[in-house]
Amino acid sequence: MVSSTLRSRRRAVATGEPEPKGWLGLAFILPGLLFIVVLFLVPLVMTVWMSFYNWPLLGRTKFIGLSNYAELIGDTQLWHSLGFTLLYTVLVTAAIFLVAFPLALLVDRPLRIAGFFRTIYFMPVVIGFGAASTLWMWLLNPDSGVFAQLLRGAGIIDSAPRPLESFWPALGVVILMVVWKTAGFTMIILLTGLQSISNDVIEAARIDGASVWSRFRRITLPLMRNSVVLALVLNVTSSMLAFDQFFIITQGGPENSTISAVFSIYLASFSSYRLGYGSAISFALLVVLVAISAIQFVLLRQRPEEG
Amino acid sequence: MLRLKTTITALALLASSSLAGAEEITLWVRTSSGAVLQGLADKYNASHSDKVNVTQITAEQMVPKLGAAIAGSAAPDGAVLDLIYLPTFAAADGLEDISDFVKGLPYSAAMSPSHIRLATYDGKIYGVPALPDASIIAYNTDLFTKAGLDPNKAPASMEEIATDAKKIAALGNETYGFYFVANSGSWLIYDFLPHLWAASADVLSDDGRSATVDTPALRETIAAYRDMWKAGAIHPTSRSGNGNNAVEAFASGKVGILMTGSYIVNLLTSKYPDVKFAVAPIPGPKGGESSFAGGDTLSLIKGISEEKKKVALDFVNFYMQPEQQVYITQESGMPSRTDLAAEAYAKFDQRNLVAYNILAKGRTPYTFSSDELFVSRTGPFLNLIQGTIFGDDVDGTIAKTQADFTRILERTNPN
Repeated sequence: MVSSTLRSRRRAVATGEPEPKGWLGLAFILPGLLFIVVLFLVPLVMTVWMSFYNWPLLGRTKFIGLSNYAELIGDTQLWHSLGFTLLYTVLVTAAIFLVAFPLALLVDRPLRIAGFFRTIYFMPVVIGFGAASTLWMWLLNPDSGVFAQLLRGAGIIDSAPRPLESFWPALGVVILMVVWKTAGFTMIILLTGLQSISNDVIEAARIDGASVWSRFRRITLPLMRNSVVLALVLNVTSSMLAFDQFFIITQGGPENSTISAVFSIYLASFSSYRLGYGSAISFALLVVLVAISAIQFVLLRQRPEEG
Repeated sequence: MLRLKTTITALALLASSSLAGAEEITLWVRTSSGAVLQGLADKYNASHSDKVNVTQITAEQMVPKLGAAIAGSAAPDGAVLDLIYLPTFAAADGLEDISDFVKGLPYSAAMSPSHIRLATYDGKIYGVPALPDASIIAYNTDLFTKAGLDPNKAPASMEEIATDAKKIAALGNETYGFYFVANSGSWLIYDFLPHLWAASADVLSDDGRSATVDTPALRETIAAYRDMWKAGAIHPTSRSGNGNNAVEAFASGKVGILMTGSYIVNLLTSKYPDVKFAVAPIPGPKGGESSFAGGDTLSLIKGISEEKKKVALDFVNFYMQPEQQVYITQESGMPSRTDLAAEAYAKFDQRNLVAYNILAKGRTPYTFSSDELFVSRTGPFLNLIQGTIFGDDVDGTIAKTQADFTRILERTNPN
């Protein structure tokens, strides 16, 4: 229903008035342009500039050329944290899709109750990452937390679980938290893709005798490819930039094994107070992120009909 | 019309008061000490024409904010800082030399020696103690009795603590012998380093410029901790605990010995009056005793005007007077001066005197990179404790810590 009205509106825009003048367009984008210059380009240039300096929080700054970048290449902790971030990104993105796809299929029904469930699944998305992490920190508390009380009350375990004391359980609870918090958003993106598929196509396939699985694999999935790629790009980018969940829940432990890339920027800048080195890591991470996004955008550009 | 008149009168009043030379100074204070300092400022402002304004800053943000403010020439006139940051700010040329003032005070000999040591850089003094505290152990006398131990005799070494803790844990029913906060750098320096100091060892040299991690005292202390952990005598939350549940765990009567600080006496007597406990200094591995001299030091920021400096130092002298010292003791547990025990504690629990008496023997790491070495949750000191007490590779962890310390010190030592 929603999709058909959307499509008719789009047709109206396509057959609309001729293009307005160029200067008018510039005037319209000026606020946005200013926003980008002041909040993105200026800080970016400053970051690059600072990365050539030894820039302590206290005391004098000193130009050191590319020394920060040279140190960065030999910084094993940093490479470890980059590797960890990639591992986390792969796992969490897979987990989010595994949860969000079935949810999207479930709530893609013309039933009134589906709207109710959409709201329920989407609700954790509106909580900030910092607040959600703090909340889970309390839920996970072994002495007074809800999880420990429930599990012990149900008689499943004798002593409270302490997942934050070893690597895989710690990573596991963080992924669990992130899936709980963000799967609803991915569900909505996938849902828009699902709803843009015309019922006629599905109907025709059904008449031709395609099974449920092959209808999903050969019709639904290819037709909602753009939504899938969009969800993928957003999830990968936000996972590569993960900070709050590790800063608050695992605090980098155990034995510094859960320090994400952004966390190491924080540590360089606000624990070692080396703002120049922190800037160098920031810029290096930006390059990595642009590369990853570029690859994903190539995928996004390929329309299904071209592929 | 009436409002305009009052405005004009107010402006005139303001003008005349500034003509009379009344000064206003601003002090930045970390939130935990904010209420006491505000109380002292209120008392001062009520009896003086000059004004002291207190601005509260979240503890973790104090160093970055103050650093940025000094760099941007927007600093306050003074700051009440965690004493451990004094060498960092003094070495970065951010603080005002007040050596003459401190040495000229009639009670200058009665200031916590560790606070003065930390405030001294290059022979000059940059701060005075404001709100000191000291780390101690608290033990549950009921559990000591139940476990057949003498509740009137505090454990005098780490080895005794380990023996006692295992006996208490043997009582069963989820009772543990020992609780320490192992997942917070600031808790660990507060409660663990005194073991080493009690044996005249340390992880840093006296001038804070080189690392001395691997000492017999460290290995003996760690052996006692490992012994307790293996025997299941340490409360399981110690390992990942950040301190939030420590007092509650002790107050629940299920923990024999708690590594804690001087504030515990007034906290337990007011909030958990049923807990029977005693306190004692922190022992070394085989004897001796020490404490972490913690708390706040008041410093003036470099470049303060002579007039404002006078007001600030007058405020220091004001809060050092016996009447205000009693107020400080009542509000935060310990007076800034070490010669006022009789007055300050007359109305309070005498167990407070244990921490008060040990303060003169207390130490604090003299370091230019406190956050990176000690406080940071990912720093080498925290990983030393986690790795050696709960991990398997004691030698490897100690060697790695020595290397990490050395690397950080080489970079951060001021020239």
